[in-house]
This record gives sequence, structure tokens and C-alpha cells, in this order.
Amino acid sequence: MPDQSPVTDEIFPQHTNKTYALVELMHGESPLVGKGPDDTVFSFPVVLLWEIVLLLGVTLVIFLFSLFKQAPLEAIANPLITTDPAKAPWYFIGLQELLEHMHPLLAGILIPTILVLFLVALPYIDHAREGAGVWFSSARGKRIVALTALYTVIVMPAYILFDNAFSLRELLRNSAPQWVAQGLLPALIILVINVIPLLVLWRWKPSTREVMLTLFTILLVSAVVFTLSGFLFRGPGFKMYLPWQMPNGYNPFDGL
Amino acid sequence: MTVQSKSRLSFLTESRVWRSFFRHGWPDNPLDRSLTMTSNVFFHLHPVKVSRKSLRWSYSFGLGVISAILFAVLVITGVILMFYYVPSIERAYPAMKEIQLSVPLGEFTRNMHRWSAHAMVLVVILHMVRVFYTGAYKPPREFNWVVGVSLLLMTLGASFTGYLLPWDQLSYWAITVGTNIAGYAPVAGPAMREMLLGGADVGQNALIRFYTLHIAVVPLIMIVAISIHLWRVRKDGGLAANDVAASNRAANPKAK
Repeated sequence: MPDQSPVTDEIFPQHTNKTYALVELMHGESPLVGKGPDDTVFSFPVVLLWEIVLLLGVTLVIFLFSLFKQAPLEAIANPLITTDPAKAPWYFIGLQELLEHMHPLLAGILIPTILVLFLVALPYIDHAREGAGVWFSSARGKRIVALTALYTVIVMPAYILFDNAFSLRELLRNSAPQWVAQGLLPALIILVINVIPLLVLWRWKPSTREVMLTLFTILLVSAVVFTLSGFLFRGPGFKMYLPWQMPNGYNPFDGL
Repeated sequence: MTVQSKSRLSFLTESRVWRSFFRHGWPDNPLDRSLTMTSNVFFHLHPVKVSRKSLRWSYSFGLGVISAILFAVLVITGVILMFYYVPSIERAYPAMKEIQLSVPLGEFTRNMHRWSAHAMVLVVILHMVRVFYTGAYKPPREFNWVVGVSLLLMTLGASFTGYLLPWDQLSYWAITVGTNIAGYAPVAGPAMREMLLGGADVGQNALIRFYTLHIAVVPLIMIVAISIHLWRVRKDGGLAANDVAASNRAANPKAK
């Protein structure tokens, strides 16, 4: 049987019956008893200097940005005059976009709850230690993420545009109850969009980590797509416009 | 040894006053560098030694540190703004105008607060994306990932509650749209919305609730959660990149 132990175990054996040891005087800073060479440095002062550089850099960027770009302040709040469009803050605008396509219970409650539960449960589902500390864990992981991102970046805008052009709500207004047209069908569509890449991945015999890479990438790219759609492409009446063709001089960036 | 024979530096570091502040000597040797990190309440959230790999910019992009810096900027600028802001629907908007027009550097302070808030939401999301794709949620870091997810939600909460405070059309309608989403939840939805707003509509009760959450409740919980989050990074073995460095060097069967 070939020896599987790492080469460092041969150089620094942990358990031997020898009564002598190969000892050499080394140039170094600290006693490393029972350990092989490590590639560490003292946090002081390297980490602290690193943090000070970041502190100065971040503050400088915020400083300069605040000098040139003023925070918006519109007219005083008036419950009688609705702004058009009325948009949520940008980090919730993805949910507002989702609300355009399905029942509020699904878009506003069920999907966000599932997303948060997915995030919380994630480390308990994918609990293998392998692949930690490396971007995308492996070259294959990187390819899975790239392909999933490409897939989502095509499918999700297509879904938004398609549903915007042929709204399920309008098409099935007289032929199906609301919970089917606005609840069941959109939920099925979203489910199918998520399952297709998993089925493709299944042929590669994926690890749990690779399944998670796929699901998280769909979630992330979808969130970006829905946020951009709601933020940039929705104008008065929350209708779709190209960002540079907004009517009434509406500028999405005024609402930041 | 007389005082004159000592260098000026050791005269300082061995003085009664210095020793009452710092329980270690000048950090130019391994022992004092270790003690600097372990005996200082701020530094002790850091590990004493870090692997070179985890310091690499392209590994972490410093996103966690940047989030913490932005949080600090927000606390400082937020406290300055509190000196002028009044959480009343009659006086909030005039106070905003006053900050904008007559308070020295008032508009600049508000700009910094607003742009840092947007930046923090973005950076915290990017930090989560980085941690996910580097597999840094894997054991033993599961719990810290969960703390991180709750910090993301609290960051959104802090930003959302702050959004109402200017009491202009933008903030009023964004909060109306945002809280309407919460109202869609079955059974508890309308009650939840009413608890958040202190009434059926966004009014004085909502403003004082959002203000209290924004300046006291959420930031205090966040300070505790951030402390746990940072401390756990050290307790769980530093950045996950350390694990890779650790598995590459000699495995010590006694250490975990």
C-alpha cells in the first residue's frame, strides 16, 4: 500500500520510538513544539496596519462621494399625494418587482421566508469540511457557478419580460381562480426554473456543496436581476421603460 | 540598573503609568506582540497569528472589515445628526431642512450617513457572497454564518427604519410600500404591520417607533452581534483560508 501520509509527517513524525531526534538550529521567532513549519505572521502590527489602510480608504471614498453627491430630500411627506412611482428602498425593490408577477402572499412572505430559512439552514445541510477556504471550492465548482449564473441571467429576465407582456393575471382572469393564476402557477414556474439546473447537475453526481453553489447562485443572480428590473426599468405606474426613456423626467437614481 | 542606562523607550514602557495602561512591553518581540493582541479589549477580537494566505486581498477583499468601518462611520455621523433631528411629524422635515441649510457641515454629515448606509447594505451582501463562495460557512463556522445572516437582516432593518426619518415624500411612500408587503402575511400580517407602524397608516406613531428602533434598539443589538461575530472568527480558527494552510502543513493529531 502506498504511503498516504503527507510529506510533512515524514519530516516531523509525531510518534516514534527513537530516543534521539534530528535537531537543527533555525532562524525564527517562536518555539514551535510539535509543529511543522507554518506560514503565519503575528497579527501585530500587520493586521492592524491593514485595517488602518482600509479605514482611511473607506472614509476617503465616503468623504469624496459626500462632497459631490447630495442626499435626496423631496417635498414634505403628504399622505394625500402618492408619488408615481412609489418604490421601496432599493434593497427591497426586488420583492416589489416580484409582487408584480405573483400573489403578495407568495412574493412578499413565502419566498422571502424560504430564502432566509435556506440561508440559515445552509451550513447545517452542507456540513462537509472539504472545500472551505478556496473560492468556489474547486475548478469544477467554478464552472458550475459560471454556468448557473449564465443560465439565471438569461432565464430570469426572460420570465420578467414574458410575464410583463402576457400577464398570467390577465390571461387567466376568467378561466382560473386567483390562487391558481397568481399563486400556484408562478410558484410552479419558479420551482421549475430552480429544478432544471439541478437536474442537469445531477448527471455530474454533484456533492452537497455543488448543489448549494447552484442554488445560491440562482438566488443571488435572481435577486440582482429583480432588483435591477425594479430599480432601473420601472417608471411611472411601475410600468416597464428603458432607463433612459423614462417619462415625466423620472430618474430612478433620485430615489436612492 | 539605573534609570540613565535605560533607553528612553524602555523608560516609557516600564514606567508606572504605562504599565497601568498596558500589561506588556513594547511590541517588538513575539511575546509582547502576542500580549498586545490578547491583553487589549479591542485587539483581542483578533487572533494572535494569522496565515499569510488569509491576509491576501484577493481572498477576502476586506469586505467584513469594510462593513465594520461603515458601521462605525454610521454611528458617528448618526449621533451628530441626532443633535439636530426631532422625531415629530411637524418638526422632522423642518429639522432636515435646517440640517441641510444652516447647520455647519450638516448636509455633508447627512450625505455621509446616507451614502454609508447604502454602501453598508451593499458591502454586507457582498461579504456574505464572499463567505459563501469560499465555503467559509462550513464547520466549525456554521454558527458564525447564522450570526452573519442575522446581521444582514439587522443591517436591512437599520437602513429601512432610517429611511422614514427625513419625512419627505420619498421616505413616506417607500415605507408605505415596504410595510404593505409585511401586511400580506396570513393571519399575523396585518397585526405585524400595525405593531411596526403603531397604527393603520404611517404617522406620528410610526415615526417614533422607527426612530427608536433606528437609533437605539437595532444598533445596540448589532454592536453585540458584531462583537460575537468578530470574536467567533478568531475562536473558529480565523478566516477559512487558514484551514487550507493548516491542512497543507503537518497535521498535528493532538490539535483539532
